[in-house]
Amino acid sequence: MANAIEVKNLSKYYGKFLAVDDIDFTVEKGEIFGFLGPNGAGKTTTQRMLTSLLTPSEGQIRILGHDLAHDAHPAKRQIGLVPEESNVYTELTAWDNLMFTGRLYRMSKTNRTARAEKLLKIFGLWEKKDVKAEIFSKGMKRRLSIAMAIIHKPALLFLDEPTPGLDAQSARAIQTIIRQLSAEGTAVFMTTHQIEEANQLCDRVAIINHGKIAAIDTPEKLKQTFQQVQSVEIAFMQSPEGLKEKLATLPEVSTVVKVGDKWRLYNDSPPALLPHLVEFAEKENLDILSLNTLAPSLEDVFLQITGQQVGTIKAVPASQNKKAGIRRKGGKR
Amino acid sequence: MKNFPARILDEIAQLWTVTLKDIKVYYLRPGMIMFGFMMPFFMFFSFSVRREMAAGEGLSRLLALTIFFTAAAAGPFIIPTERRMGTYDRLLAAPMSLITLLLGKISVGAFFAIVVASIAAVFGTIFLDTNIAHPLLMIAGIIIGSFTFSTMGLIFGSIPTRNPGDVQMPSTLIRWVLLFISGVFVPLADMSTVARGFSYISPLTYAQDLMNHAVLGMGELNLWLDLGILFLSGLLFLLPSIKLHKRGRVLGY
Repeated sequence: MANAIEVKNLSKYYGKFLAVDDIDFTVEKGEIFGFLGPNGAGKTTTQRMLTSLLTPSEGQIRILGHDLAHDAHPAKRQIGLVPEESNVYTELTAWDNLMFTGRLYRMSKTNRTARAEKLLKIFGLWEKKDVKAEIFSKGMKRRLSIAMAIIHKPALLFLDEPTPGLDAQSARAIQTIIRQLSAEGTAVFMTTHQIEEANQLCDRVAIINHGKIAAIDTPEKLKQTFQQVQSVEIAFMQSPEGLKEKLATLPEVSTVVKVGDKWRLYNDSPPALLPHLVEFAEKENLDILSLNTLAPSLEDVFLQITGQQVGTIKAVPASQNKKAGIRRKGGKR
Repeated sequence: MKNFPARILDEIAQLWTVTLKDIKVYYLRPGMIMFGFMMPFFMFFSFSVRREMAAGEGLSRLLALTIFFTAAAAGPFIIPTERRMGTYDRLLAAPMSLITLLLGKISVGAFFAIVVASIAAVFGTIFLDTNIAHPLLMIAGIIIGSFTFSTMGLIFGSIPTRNPGDVQMPSTLIRWVLLFISGVFVPLADMSTVARGFSYISPLTYAQDLMNHAVLGMGELNLWLDLGILFLSGLLFLLPSIKLHKRGRVLGY
């Protein structure tokens, strides 16, 4: 049985700038696959190539067994696309947006009206079906955009940053829909900055950095691979000056990061660090408020792989990524 | 896998779906009204008021201007607007050929021009009390000319950009150049040899001559030449649009 996505030696140059650098991966049918990376890492470029919106410079893409370069039509019939910006027709009503998409995918009138009604009810838009989308909130447009992408029951759904900027209720509703689609056999390819969301939703994730896939596995296996980013989180009653520097001198502590009113100490063996911490607190006359050992989070793994400081979410400016990612043709790795 | 006739029927239905959607979404937008509806009338009155001109001659000129400006206004306005809104990606990712999408966009401009030209024709026959020599030829000319100039507008709309302003400037400039080298304001018979040579480059020359045949019953060029050049121009104008769209996919638009 063919995979939902098969990518081989895929590269994309914009002039001399190498945006995607010789990547390979597969996505199985029914799988939720997260594609993570900092700004400018090549996430959206990859997704646009997979949806035929962008012509690759090199490499091969097979979507549900169809070569996208030579046999795009049957592949396109089976994919749905939700871009980062909700691309609904604001001059049309929610209902007309869905009818238009249904017609575009050649659904019969009976099918598209039944499916549109069902989706509008699921997404909480049924009461607003005859209202023009121009007055919809960002969350409502997002939900309508997703409904338009799945009206034809695609076997593969592409989601670009599905939930940023949405209220918790809308984000939760969209995550529930993604899980339901996967349970019904739809493969979901999701690019996101929301690492915790990927951790909770995805069967596997790939981390792309400077156009190359740096890691690809299940979230849990990735966390196990990066045991050096385990940590101990401690909160003291007092916060004297120079505390960070002193904590950094404790044995085997690689990084100290302040997280709110707590200190996170990265260390590859947290249990061994605990006695030293208690001893340190006694010596410095500090009262411990809380003390927890933390396994590496997917965020820690992501930051470690992308070369950022662990324990912080710090987006790398796109200009830095581009600068680091520039390679000339013939000189790529 | 669908067989070929079924696929063709699908593509025709998708073409019509795109056209209907654009009619609903864009026909009443200020950009379309300004560049598509008001511009030809503005041009007509600017260059025709207080000049000695027979009513039939005026109507013929108005019809040529209408199909030229109105049909060519849609592509440069709609496609960059859709690119900016992200809705064009929805169309490019849909299971239809690029030709179908482009023909859908051409139809939007052409239908708009046909409607506006029909208003102009009614206006001319009622208020200018004009007798139209060959009404069927006029209808055929409006239809063929509208599709040809809509295809010309599509070239500008296909320029890879998300900013309609980047397209409006060159499209307006080129349309003005074509307008002044064509036999609209100065009849072909009154042109110098050099000017007449230039006028043959412009498809508007043939549209104007065709309208002269239809409304006045006489033209400077052969009627079939007018029809043939307009038809062929329409086909040829499609090629750069396809090329520019493919270029857009390489550049990421």
